[in-house]
Order: sequence, then structure tokens, then C-alpha cells
Amino acid sequence: MSDADLAAPAKPAAIDARGSRILQGTGWARQLALPIALVLLLAGFGLADDRVLTTYNLLNIAQQTSYLALFAMAQMVVILTRGFDLSLGPTVSMVSVAAALAMAGIGGADANGIVAVLAAIAAGFALAAACGLFNGVVVSILGVSPLVATLGSMNIAIGVATTISDGRPVQGVPAAFADLFYRGSILGLPIAIVIAILVGGVLAFVLSRTVFGRSLYIIGTNPQAAAVAGIPVKRLLVYAYVLCSALAALGALMMTARTGSGEPNLGGTLSLQSIAAAVVGGTSLAGGRGGVGSAALGALFITILSNGMNLTRIDGYVQMIVLGAIVILGVVLDRLRLDGR
Amino acid sequence: MEPAATSTTPRNETAEPLLVLSGVTKRFPGVLALDDVDLDVKAGELHVLFGENGAGKSTLINVISGTFPPTSGSFRFGGEEMAELTPHKARAIGISPVFQEFSLVPSLTVEENLFLGRERSAAGILDAGGMRRRARELIAELGFDLDPKARVDKLDRAHQQMAEIAKALLGKVRLLILDEPTASLTERETGRLFELIARLKSQGVGIIYVSHRMREIRALADRVTVLRDGRHIKTLDAATVTDSELVELMTGRKIDVLFPAITHRPGEVAIAVEKLATADGQVADVDFFARAGEITGVAGLVGCGKSELVRAIYGIEPIASGSVTLRGETVTALDPRSSLRRGVAYFPANRGVEGLALSRPIRENVSMAALDLGRYQRRGIIRRTAERSLIGPIMETLKLRPPNIERAVGNLSGGNRQKVMLGRAMARDLDIFLFDEPSVGIDVGAKVEVYEFIKRLVEAGAAVVVVSSELPEVLALSNRLYVMHHGRIAALLEGEAMTEQNVLSSFFEEEAREKAA
Repeated sequence: MSDADLAAPAKPAAIDARGSRILQGTGWARQLALPIALVLLLAGFGLADDRVLTTYNLLNIAQQTSYLALFAMAQMVVILTRGFDLSLGPTVSMVSVAAALAMAGIGGADANGIVAVLAAIAAGFALAAACGLFNGVVVSILGVSPLVATLGSMNIAIGVATTISDGRPVQGVPAAFADLFYRGSILGLPIAIVIAILVGGVLAFVLSRTVFGRSLYIIGTNPQAAAVAGIPVKRLLVYAYVLCSALAALGALMMTARTGSGEPNLGGTLSLQSIAAAVVGGTSLAGGRGGVGSAALGALFITILSNGMNLTRIDGYVQMIVLGAIVILGVVLDRLRLDGR
Repeated sequence: MEPAATSTTPRNETAEPLLVLSGVTKRFPGVLALDDVDLDVKAGELHVLFGENGAGKSTLINVISGTFPPTSGSFRFGGEEMAELTPHKARAIGISPVFQEFSLVPSLTVEENLFLGRERSAAGILDAGGMRRRARELIAELGFDLDPKARVDKLDRAHQQMAEIAKALLGKVRLLILDEPTASLTERETGRLFELIARLKSQGVGIIYVSHRMREIRALADRVTVLRDGRHIKTLDAATVTDSELVELMTGRKIDVLFPAITHRPGEVAIAVEKLATADGQVADVDFFARAGEITGVAGLVGCGKSELVRAIYGIEPIASGSVTLRGETVTALDPRSSLRRGVAYFPANRGVEGLALSRPIRENVSMAALDLGRYQRRGIIRRTAERSLIGPIMETLKLRPPNIERAVGNLSGGNRQKVMLGRAMARDLDIFLFDEPSVGIDVGAKVEVYEFIKRLVEAGAAVVVVSSELPEVLALSNRLYVMHHGRIAALLEGEAMTEQNVLSSFFEEEAREKAA
């Protein structure tokens, strides 16, 4: 603390209080803050570039959002328990490569469609389950902090993805796979959007209506009290990390279908993007607060932002700066919300 | 510390004591808080005020420190009659109180608080450097691990207590008033404080010390004044008085109506513990049993292992050796989930930390220990309607006010929070109840309801264990009472033998035995 603080100690406190009151808002104002920001953002980019508000681009945004929404939901599940998963991005890369390798092994582009698709799904989910199990056991049973645990598994996953693919894209994804996870549509809606909506619906039900979901909120709110009340905290934490990785694997399969190959760098910045989306949407890193709606809104926000920045030709590295700033902003907002409680 | 220069000179034994109160009465609307109280404190003396809550100790020290004037009586300090004393004047003449409720401004730093209202300045400009130097000197002299630049609201309670003591000692001090100063200090900090007290005494400072802790009274006191119901009962020489004498003078009357009359009908042994030792060493070689239909009390000082004993039985304190038998079945691998399924409930002392998920609604907090039961869920899916219709009536019988079970627990008072915990016990079928400090942090009205709840459990045939640091509570509720000391059972008292004197004497016998060993 500096001398200036000492001379006028009451001042910063007063600003703090007023600042947090504005940012916290009251009940519904807080609920509506993000949707309003979304509309303003879209309108702003629309003024800057004609292509932003075209039907084509809006559908594109919706489709893009469905991928990020899946990852944000995955992240949200572990953030609810006071954790997070930095290995989510590399897990996506690893699943992508593994699924493509499985399909290539069966016969590549000529393979029997159904067998290849099943092989990809099996390989992808098995690897993701192993990854989630690893994270869950290290965090919950061994008691390593989620930061360190998933930072470690992040590197492991990057290493695995690069090694098994030799660092090159894995070709040989059959058409049936791309049809199922990318090209298909139901009632005119692209399959990615349909999958995201279905998964979101199921996850929302799981979180709000099942013993498992209820327990995740209680664990995140007060892990000690949860343990004293007989909730199997350690086991459920492992499940949460497995569920996170499984949702990431689903997203990875969809992205692999879109690119048409297994990509060892597919996950790229997804760890950070997914955490950003969840937190900006209102999931609290302190645990116990958040839901499917918040993850989806956050994903939409991040997607509109990067879509707009792409169309207005903002440099990719500048976009990274913006994304980093948004994560920090989201956490600061969360802190203010909690302080004002 | 700058004790008045005069007080360091050798005292004349016949001179008037530093502080003399005679016939002091303080009347609040409807309450006679002090009734004709006499008290004198000599320079260089530590004088303990001893009494139950509500005995008038706080009122007395408030009168002495100028918070409010006495209704009648005479109050002399340093040979002068004190009229129209204010807190500010009291400080100026060397009366320095340290209250339990802190007088610190949370948003200011420690050093700003030390000089609050007596800032040093020259020509209207604060002498920040001088004040900081003085604050540093003082804190170093006291040996406190306290950062003078830290904001008070960022400090924990122990450090706030240190800041409060430092504040009291900043100016010229002739009479220091300490109200349960060790309540939030660690052993080491308490040691520092005691050294400091000895130093102040040798400098001729008079000290009024309020405490319930026998050990401290033994270590520090020159004389003890016992107050009860606002009256001066007796002033005794600390060197000759016995603990049981003090306790008897303090309580005087027999158990009051706070505690319900409970009919104990001891039945089968519900919990039997043999040679139990916990992994952290807090419990060593304990034999213990509790029967259905009676309340088994466990008394002891903070840190004696009584809480760890029940926590080990419930399965949240790892066990090193020994056995726990529930209803004749020896149980290995204890954990909360299986304990609940065996019908054992535990009510933690710290409800905020171990009991409740504060931002979740009452309904979820009540049902959370019972979600494995078929009446709350089917194949993992919560039966919401059933949950609501089961939890609602439970909280109604517990008189939750207002009766809205969708409110977040964090908004509730201490008493209502404890009701949520009690409700949790009613959300499933249980017959062994372990209460850890059941009445801590709740008001008298809520206490009575908790005791009534315990009474209903026992009279319905449940086995209840009550662990408490409040002697009157365990004495009144228990059918049999274990006394723990340093992780061991020091005594088991039953029937007529269950008295405050016996509990206390078993502490000291155990202490003497340990010293001899």
C-alpha cells in the first residue's frame, strides 16, 4: 500500500462500492446485461461491416457458437465444482487425431461408413474418458489443485496428440463421418446446432433435476459441508471431470468432421476460449454458480466478438489480446458479484 | 506504553487505591444492571471480574470507561471524584478499555486506528511519519505479529484483537481494562499478552480483567470479584480461593428454566467406543458408550478432543486405532455416507463451514443428506414435488420464520440456520444424534428450541450425544457426563455426582496427574 492510500483511505473504498453496485446491478438488470451487450456488439460490428448482419453470417455465427457452447458447457461442469480444465483444448486435438487415425486404420475414405463412424466415436470417447478420469483422480483423490493438475495434463495431451499424428494432419475421414457430424441437417437446422441444443437440454436437466447435478452445486458452494452431509464428493468430482472431457470429445468429433481431417492443433486456444465463455456468461470460478444458459450466452458473446473482429480484419494476435482481457474482465465481474452478495 | 510517571514510584500502602467504586448502581429501562456494587483496584494489581453472562461485568466496565454514567454511587479514580466522564476524558486520564466488541474502524489501517481521534499533527498537517514510527515501535514492543499498514477489515479476529490491545496501550495508561482478551488469541499470542501484563503490573498499572478461564485467573489474578445478577457477591484473594468456591459463588442459584426437564430411559447401548485414538492425536485411548433413550454429555475445554471423538464416530476424523461399535455391530471404515445410512447424524459446531451451503435454498440444505433415499429421488432424478412436500412440513414443525423454504440459507439468522441443520436430521430416519456445541452462536430463544428438539429425540428413544464447552448446558441435559482432558476421559459422572464442582475438579486432578507423571 502506498502513502497516497494512507492519506485518503476512505476514497478508494467508496469508489469500490459504487463501482461494484453499478456492475452488479439489481436482479433482472444483471440477467439482461449480457444479452444487451450481445445486441450492442452485433449492432456495432454491423455498422462497421455490411457482411456482419447478413443471414448467411448470422447462421454462420449460430453454427460457430454451437461448437464453443459445447466446450463452454464442458468447462462449466467442472467450474461449478470450483475447478476448471486447462487440458480441454489439447484433449480436443487428441480426440480429433485419435478418431481420424481409427477411421484411417479401418480403411480410410473407402471404409464402411457405419463401422468407421463407430470406430471414431469409440476411440474419441475412450481417450476422452481416460483423460477426464486422469484429471478427476489427480484433482479429487490426490488433492492436486485443478490449475496444476490440468496444466500438467494439458502438456501430456499436447504431447500425445502430436506424437500419434507425427505432428501432421491425419487424412482419410470418410464421407459418412462428415455427413453425421457436419453436413447433415434436421428440419433445416445444421447438425452442429441441433447437437448443441440437444446436449444443452440434457445437461440442463441433469444439472437441475438429478441428484448428481444438485450435488455438483452443493460441492461447489461448500465442499466441506457436502462431505459432512454424506455426499460422495471425491467420486462426483471424478465424474465431473469425465463429463467435461466427454463433452469436449463430442465437440472434437464435430470439428474433425468439419475440417475433414484429424488435426493435432485443433484445440489451439479452446481451453482459454471455453473458460472465457463460461465465466463471461456468469459461471463463477468460486464454484456453485452457473448453468447451461450462462455457458451458451457466453459462447455466443465470444463467437460474435471473434466473428466481428475477423470480418473487420482485426489482426489475429490482437484478437488474442482481446480474449485474454475478456477472461480477466469476466473474473473481475464475478468477484464483484460475490463481494456484493 | 507510557505509564504515568507517578505510578512508577513506590506506592504507599495506606494511600487510596487507584480506582474506588462504592455503591454504584446502574438502571436501564426495566433492568437493574448494577445494584450497589463496590469495587476497588490498586495500582499494580490485576483484578479479575468473574460472573456469568448478564451478571453485570460489561455494564461495570462501561461505567468505568465512561461509556455511560452510573445512576447512583461514587466513582473515584486517582483520588478524584469522576463526574461527567466521557470515553474521551477517560482515555485522557489513563483509563484504557479493550472491549470484546472492537472499537476499530474496519476501513482504516491499523496505525490509523491506533491514532484515531488523537492524530499527531503540526499546523494542521498530519505527522504521518511520526505516527507510523510510534505505531511500529509499539507493535514491536508488544511483540505482536501485526502489520501497521494492514486494513483492519482484512485482518482475522486474532489480529484485530492485537490491534485493539495496541490501541489501548498507545497513550498514557494507568488502568487497563481487558474483556476476555484471549478469546481469539493463540497459545503463543496469549503467552505474549501475559508477559505484557506482568510488565504493566510492575510499572504500576492497575488492570481489570474479565475472563471465564480458570487457568488465566490462576496465572494472573491478585484478587477476584464475583458478580451475580448485577450484585457484588464477594471479593476474594486469588491466592487462597479455590476454583470450586469461585464457581459456586458465580452460579449461586440452581439451573434455570432454559433447560427442559428430560426423562431419560436408558436402553440398549447404541455407540460403544473402545481404546479409540484419532490419527491427529487429539483423542487417545478413549473408552466411551452412549445408550438409546438418554443423553450422554461430553464436557471439556476447547481442544480437549471431545469434538474429535464424535467426529471420529461419524467418520470425518481419521481413526488411528481402536474400535467403534454401533448397536452391537463393529464398524470399520467409517464415513459420513455410511454413518447416515446406519442412522447416525452429526451436527457440526461450525455450521457455516461444515454444515451449510449458504447460497443454496433451505430446501436443498435440508434434503442434502438424504438424497440417496427413494422418497427424494428415483433412479438419480430428484422428485421435486415430493421433496417440497416433505421438507415444507419439517421446517414448519421446527417453526422456521418466515416459512419459505426457497430462501438462501445465507440470509438466515444463527438460530434459523441451526433449524435447517435440525431439519436435515428429520429428513431421514435416524436414531443416533451427535451434537457438537449445539447452542453456539444462537440466541436464548433458539437455544430453548434446540433443547426441546433434543428432548423430543431422546424421549422418542434416540441415542443423543451432546458435546459442549458450556458446562451448564451439558450438566442440565445429560444423563451421564464424560469429562475429557487432553484427549482422554478424565471422569464419568452420573446422577448426584454431576455437578460443576466435580467437572472442574476432575480437570484439575487430571492436570495434576499429568504434571506428576
